[in-house]
Amino acid sequence: NLHKKNLIYYAGVSSQSNGDRFKIEGRAIVPGVKTQDWVSTARVLVEGEEYVGFLRTDGSFAVNDIPSGSYVVEVVTPTFRFEPVRVDITSKGKMRARLVNFIKTSEVIRQPYPLQIRGSPQSYFMRRETWGWTDFLMNPMVMMMVLPLLIIVLLPKVVNTNDPEMRKEMEQSMNMLNPNPELPDVSELMTKLFSGSKGSGKAGGSSKGTRPAVKRR
Amino acid sequence: MAKLILQWLKFVVLCGTVGAVFEDQVGKFDWRQQYVGKVRFAHFDTHVQSSKKVVVATEKNVFAALNTRTGELFWRHVDKTGSEGNIDALLLQGADAVLVVGNGRLLRSWEVNIGGLNWEILLDSGSFQSACLVGQQDNVKYVAVLKKTVISLHYLSNGHQKWIENLPDSETVDYQAVYSGGNGEVYVLGVVPHSHIAVVVYSVDDGEILKQFSVEAAWLSNIQTSCAVVGKGMLTCVDSTTLSLYMLDLHTQLQMTQLPLQTLGLEVDPGFHPTLVSTQPNAARQPLSEFFLQLGPEHYVLLQLNNGQIVTLRDFKPAMLVSFATTGEKTVAAVMSPKNKTACGLNLFSADTGRRLLDTTLIFNMDPYGGKPETLYVQAFLKKDDSVGYRAIVQTEDHTLTFLQQPGRVMWTREEALSDVVTMEMVDLPLTGTQAELEGEFGKKADGLMSMVLKRLSSQFILLQAWVSHLWKLFYDARKPRSQVKNDVTIENLSRDEFNLQKMMVMVTAIRKPVNCRLHSFCFSSFKLFGIDSKTGTIVWKHYLDNIPSNAAFKLMVQRTTAHFPHPPQCTLLIKDKDTGLATLHVFNPIFGKKSHITPPALPQPILQSLLLPLMDQDYAKVLLLVDDQYKVSAFPSTKNVLQQLQEMASSIFFYLVDSSQGRLSGYRLRTDLSTELIWEVVIPPEIQRIVSVKGKRPNEHVHSQGRVMGDRSVLYKYLNPNLLAIVTESTDSHQERSFVGILLIDGVTGRIIHEAVQRKTKGPVHVVHSENWVVYEYWSTKSRRNEFSVIELYEGMELYNSTVFSSLDRPHAPQVLQQSYIFPSAISTLEATLTEKGITSRHLLIGLPSGGILSLPKMFLDPRRPEIVTEQSREENLIPYAPELPIRTEWYINYNQTISRVRGIYTAPSGLESTCLVVAYGLDIYQTRVYPSKQFDVLKDDYDYMLISSVLFALFFATMISKRLAEVKLLNRAWR
Repeated sequence: NLHKKNLIYYAGVSSQSNGDRFKIEGRAIVPGVKTQDWVSTARVLVEGEEYVGFLRTDGSFAVNDIPSGSYVVEVVTPTFRFEPVRVDITSKGKMRARLVNFIKTSEVIRQPYPLQIRGSPQSYFMRRETWGWTDFLMNPMVMMMVLPLLIIVLLPKVVNTNDPEMRKEMEQSMNMLNPNPELPDVSELMTKLFSGSKGSGKAGGSSKGTRPAVKRR
Repeated sequence: MAKLILQWLKFVVLCGTVGAVFEDQVGKFDWRQQYVGKVRFAHFDTHVQSSKKVVVATEKNVFAALNTRTGELFWRHVDKTGSEGNIDALLLQGADAVLVVGNGRLLRSWEVNIGGLNWEILLDSGSFQSACLVGQQDNVKYVAVLKKTVISLHYLSNGHQKWIENLPDSETVDYQAVYSGGNGEVYVLGVVPHSHIAVVVYSVDDGEILKQFSVEAAWLSNIQTSCAVVGKGMLTCVDSTTLSLYMLDLHTQLQMTQLPLQTLGLEVDPGFHPTLVSTQPNAARQPLSEFFLQLGPEHYVLLQLNNGQIVTLRDFKPAMLVSFATTGEKTVAAVMSPKNKTACGLNLFSADTGRRLLDTTLIFNMDPYGGKPETLYVQAFLKKDDSVGYRAIVQTEDHTLTFLQQPGRVMWTREEALSDVVTMEMVDLPLTGTQAELEGEFGKKADGLMSMVLKRLSSQFILLQAWVSHLWKLFYDARKPRSQVKNDVTIENLSRDEFNLQKMMVMVTAIRKPVNCRLHSFCFSSFKLFGIDSKTGTIVWKHYLDNIPSNAAFKLMVQRTTAHFPHPPQCTLLIKDKDTGLATLHVFNPIFGKKSHITPPALPQPILQSLLLPLMDQDYAKVLLLVDDQYKVSAFPSTKNVLQQLQEMASSIFFYLVDSSQGRLSGYRLRTDLSTELIWEVVIPPEIQRIVSVKGKRPNEHVHSQGRVMGDRSVLYKYLNPNLLAIVTESTDSHQERSFVGILLIDGVTGRIIHEAVQRKTKGPVHVVHSENWVVYEYWSTKSRRNEFSVIELYEGMELYNSTVFSSLDRPHAPQVLQQSYIFPSAISTLEATLTEKGITSRHLLIGLPSGGILSLPKMFLDPRRPEIVTEQSREENLIPYAPELPIRTEWYINYNQTISRVRGIYTAPSGLESTCLVVAYGLDIYQTRVYPSKQFDVLKDDYDYMLISSVLFALFFATMISKRLAEVKLLNRAWR
């Protein structure tokens, strides 16, 4: 008699614990990548590492033995990124999946259940700044140097400065641009700068700096 | 609002560039080693001829496939820790591996080639007993799982249950084993201890009980340890009290026949419990009729069952380990026998005759600092000439796996002890001989000007010589192809590099022995010490030590660094039994791993606390103070010099004790006679909350700036109390509504409570980092079901009370406390902060995540001064506007795709470069890298474009040359005009 009682008791316990535990099911896919290539590195983590599941060779998964509650379900692999999903399980075993929102925790944006999780490639690396001609030319410092140089070199060639009419016109336009006569003229400044640099270039010349002087004689 | 977003974006961009890895840096200064733990089951994959896999299931709940050629992992699956992920059985059939997990809770089948799951099913509750493959007509189709009260049969292809049957009389009979010989029957073997064996025979097809009988066996208590099925269904048992073999034919079910071992001429070693080793190469067929009987720790006999008669084929004495292996139709027995003190010989014998096979000797050299061989796994294969060749995996007591190939060649070794690192330290490498000579010059007393000059010249010459030889080596290596350049790391060529980036990692691993531990009242375990070169990950030395208490706590301390040449560096490991408090010291040289000749003091009293003082003895060893349960203090080393120094310093030496069971924190002062005096006590009522962790600051931490410059150019001074302790408590009430986490900041000298904070509706586990003037902690919010971070920062205010020195006894003003909390969108495993030489570099938090990533989160994000409304001043200060959720960016993972399973700890150490912090993360795997929290500001970046800068320089040089020439010509022309 006692044995029988024990048996019934055990049976009761087992059915109860089965009733309390549920299964979270779903499927993870990475578009364009065969599942075989990445399932061996993947795991399904439910609420951190509280419950762990693994992926089948077709990318589907089921995490067994979970009591009712609300859980964040996440598929983790080193190479792909999967969005986590919150799964709510009622005490009767009704399932609901929704977007994870840690700020508004009660907000419900439904997600399909059984879960459908799409992965995307994950990039961990910073891009190196590569050196290219375009980068070099587009550099503001270089632009500042090159454009005035072009103007200085090309402008006198394009515009015939010997033509008196043109000169007059230019002077007029310069005056319009430069209403303040006290400010130094741009071209003047440029020439000054140019001659200055020439001078310094001479001074900064190496030991052969005496040679021009000799030739001038 | 738009402005705010813009600000935010700006900061994100600003911070995004920090702490990231570039793709070309992969493997340049980082390495990872993956481990699986101590192997419990291992099977060679034989279903494909050329397979290079060995499938292992380990005590760490890991299931993995190893490459037999290299020892690396093909794939690995890490289950939950603890009993829920425990692997009870591993059965391999073709490309399918069936696992019983979690005391018979789950049945899983894995595809071995890909490493993916075939199926997983939930089994009924009940404690797991045994499992076996069941075949019919040479075809294995099912797996049988035996539990305490039921037996179930499942299809191998999809896991579906074919049938489940209750076991008869399961209240009285202890069913322990299941066996199938491939004839359509499943035998369940049970025992009523000291009474009889019960056998139930089920039909494979429908689960019907075909036969049920019991046989008298008063001597038997455990089938699994003393019985085996041999040959055509002969249950063979060995009994140590009557010293006999018992045999029962399961088909004819006659009386059990007793066969005293004496009649076979065999003798059991006194006090030894003999065991049987049998083999069933194919689950669809009967086991072999040959089996091993172990008679002593080093004594085996190969027996054969021949027409109901036992024949001794061969006696192996001494023999340490035996194993069967099958290839094709041939089965061989491998026997390992000791050769001399340091080597073992492995030989192959034909199983059906016991004859030694020619040319099958293999020498296994044992590591003198390792353990004894424990398990042997053998893979046999047929060679071209039809003879049998083999490979073997030997697992030793120190959890080392060694793979041997035939003429005694070690293909690879795996130090699985490293999957259980308990604590570690990084020690600077010593200088090379020449550098040391140069250093030694300064230590000596001056002996005349001339000789000093000569000495200096000669040492400079030696340096020059070393440099030239180094250059020559570089040049020589550069000509060779890259793969040929040897990267051997030995103790001889280990030396400190110019930036002190390469260090010696001293790791302490615990080797737990769970087997039979419960039976003994006092049970011992062991540990293994490793010295690993941090640059390459090569194990430079290892040392296995056994006979330590099974639940020991370890504390590793560096007493003397390598800076005190010619004194050798010295590390001390304190091993303390958690139950009794008794401790022992192990003193060793961290560079060579040798045990020091210094004999550590015997510690007869339980130890409560240990502290490493900044005091040094005349040999530059830091003084270790040990406080015993009588509150007496002993010092190590305890020379006269040290005791004198201690007496002088006693009035300024304070220490604290924590008794978490009684919730008591107490502070003590040292008296000059080395007794102690209680000066304060704080009791945290243990019935409401318990102390989870107590964290002080790291002694080697430097803080560079005393304060922070505000937007209005005033200075907010930090409260930098080196004696501050952060105490974390958790409520004993675990109810969702009433649980809480508390934090207490106490001055360890005076016992003054500086600050107290409580987070309601939260629970642990709490992770804490305490550094500078801040404490960061992480907990679980039960209300919102999310992880949250909280940061507390302490400031003195706009004025410093005493700017020259900090004294806990003289700080009248309480510090200003700022606190802010954030949401963290992931669970975390561990938390640590970066550490640099001088503390100038900004700090990052290193967060170990369950996904295996290590996130480097700038401390800037955890700043309680982050404003909700952006003002001109906060912008000036570079404060990020407050946002409730902390961001996780994939560029912040310092270990990119090199994930680390089950991160338990992160160790940070400063390097010689201020910008660089060395990081070691350990758990199941070990990962070493460097981080640059504020980028590499003190060295040229490794992508520095030498080509560009030199080509620009050359171009400019030639341009000046040419233009000069042109100018000359022009001048000349003008002069001619």
